Amino acid sequence: MTRYYLPVAIAALLLTFWFSPDAQEIAAGVAIFLFGMLMLEDGFKLFGGGALERVLETATGSTTRAISFGIVSTTLLQSSSLVSVITISFLSAGLISLIGGVGIIFGANIGTTTGAWLVAGLGLKVNIAAYAMPMIALSIILVFQKSKALRGIGYALGGLGFLFLGIHHMKEGFDAFKDQIDLKRFALAGVFGLFVYSLIGTAATVIMQSSHATMVLILTALAAGQISYENALALSIGANIGTTITAIIGSLGANFQGKRLALAHLVFNAVTAAVALILIAPLREAVDWISQIVGIAPGDYAMKLAVFHTIFNVLGVVLMVPVLHRLIWFIEHRIAEPVPDVSRPHFLNEAVDEFPQTLEIALRKEVLHLYENAAELILHGLNLHRQRIFETDDVAAEVRRSRTPLELDIDEGYERRVKTLYSAIVEFTTRAGDKRLAPEIANRVYALRDVASDVVQAVKSVKHLRKNILRYTTRPQGAATELYDGLRTEIARIAVEIRKLGLAPAEQRSALWLDQERVQIEEAARSTTQRVDAFIRSEDLSPAAATSFLNDAGYAYSAMRDLIDAARSYYIERDSAMAEVERLLSFDEEELDDPFVGSESGPGSRSPEGSITRTS
Amino acid sequence: MGLKKLAAKVAEYNERLESGKANKIKPGHVDKVLEKLRKKAEELETEIAATQSAEKQARLKKKLCVARAHVERAEWLLKELS
Repeated sequence: MTRYYLPVAIAALLLTFWFSPDAQEIAAGVAIFLFGMLMLEDGFKLFGGGALERVLETATGSTTRAISFGIVSTTLLQSSSLVSVITISFLSAGLISLIGGVGIIFGANIGTTTGAWLVAGLGLKVNIAAYAMPMIALSIILVFQKSKALRGIGYALGGLGFLFLGIHHMKEGFDAFKDQIDLKRFALAGVFGLFVYSLIGTAATVIMQSSHATMVLILTALAAGQISYENALALSIGANIGTTITAIIGSLGANFQGKRLALAHLVFNAVTAAVALILIAPLREAVDWISQIVGIAPGDYAMKLAVFHTIFNVLGVVLMVPVLHRLIWFIEHRIAEPVPDVSRPHFLNEAVDEFPQTLEIALRKEVLHLYENAAELILHGLNLHRQRIFETDDVAAEVRRSRTPLELDIDEGYERRVKTLYSAIVEFTTRAGDKRLAPEIANRVYALRDVASDVVQAVKSVKHLRKNILRYTTRPQGAATELYDGLRTEIARIAVEIRKLGLAPAEQRSALWLDQERVQIEEAARSTTQRVDAFIRSEDLSPAAATSFLNDAGYAYSAMRDLIDAARSYYIERDSAMAEVERLLSFDEEELDDPFVGSESGPGSRSPEGSITRTS
Repeated sequence: MGLKKLAAKVAEYNERLESGKANKIKPGHVDKVLEKLRKKAEELETEIAATQSAEKQARLKKKLCVARAHVERAEWLLKELS
């Protein structure tokens, strides 16, 4: 169907222009209006500097707050579509709850009605084209400025100017059009008219992907007397159904949560539209009554339409809020959470690509997912049960107890549970690099990619150990078993410490804690070399077995260092200045051999001895 | 090494700060990190007191030394900034 959409749309437009040159002005007005909306969106993205995203995280604490946020943000952005796309993106990244997201969508439906008020109250009564020209002219100067904020203001100002200009051309087009063709001849009365015009409103919004643009078109046509008031009401109801198309399209690249939100949006708008159609007569009376109270002239149908648009959207929210939890239950049952597949990315999807903050947070979560898979594979590769290691008070004793070989194809496990995720992370970060991210965010994104790389390297190192782990640790074989148990214990301890850091509340933990493990690793590497020497001298270990072990120890310590480096980078303070403090206080590589020289804290000065080399 | 190394890192940081490539550290930032480090040191002291195994105790004592070295460094840095 999409294959035919473009040629059919172009052919229909050309045919219309051929029959009626005045239709060109209406179509151009719609195009200019939509272009203005795009500019306004770009402006807010630049000018906002992520402010909208930051507020969104905290705005969903309660349904009332979520609805209020939806109203305010849509009023400011004049685009419920943008708000719904942002909400889907945040929901997909796991930053907000489904109920919070649905609350925002409810609010956005009310917020979008302000557009009708602006057009009916201002756009059709004043010559807004007179304001549009200087706005556009001024905006272009700002757009070429270096400052991001000024460029943002420029885009927003230009966007607003084009919105005004679009409205002006639609108005002019309809005024000229009515002299040629009287569209009112096609007016349909009664239930049939309601139904047909609702469908037309839906179709127009699906095509333009903007209920705002449809509403402006309806208002200008109504002001020019080209459609009847009754049919305009039906068109606006249809526009409310059609607007869900943007959320549905946006959810195609999202995870199950994004799809749930799009379904909630569709259900909400369809129910609201059905109620409005059923209660059309009392709603019309309510509009007349309210118009009389606020002083709207009985013949000012454009303003009356704005009143109607607001009433039925508010009515929809009033009706749906009490059954919100039921709606969520229904949606969660319709779109079930897929059974987690550890081999697939859980958080990286097209929906989170949209905004820098969701992009970074989704990436953080995915890297953690990769680490979880890797840690399990590493421990299993060492014949250790993750849960037992995490629960024990004595890691060394648990390692000595673990003699049963675990059924594991480590190569298959690596391909399926590590490599696939790592590939997705690399692809995602490369895609993110193509976007113009703020340098601070870009640095953090690349640092996360490096974390993933360290984790993968650690798994690869443990893969090399697997053969001799099976050979020497499944039954006691003297010195060799003792040495391999030592390596297993050290790696298991690293996994335990990283887990502790992850479980600690963010405001209490510090990546500096891992320096304790870094010092421990280097000390263990030194003592391992000494122990091997002693075993060779006492003939408890053959030189051939010793060589083989030292080779494996190189891989083991490499894995430990990679895991610690990954965790240090992952858990470093996200505040740049605090991260700087942590970097200053952290031990340098050369300090790890003897961190207490010149310090009052250490157990005394020691000189570095032979150690298993760093294979980074 | 210790504090001398830290002093060299601070000098390098100051150069980056002057060229606009680093974020300004305020005493409050160091205070926050120091608080976490002191808490960790206290936790380790408590754990050492409760540990029976001599081997584990020895390991924890080494960790405590690292934690104290960090506290010492952070106090020095705080003094430098104040």
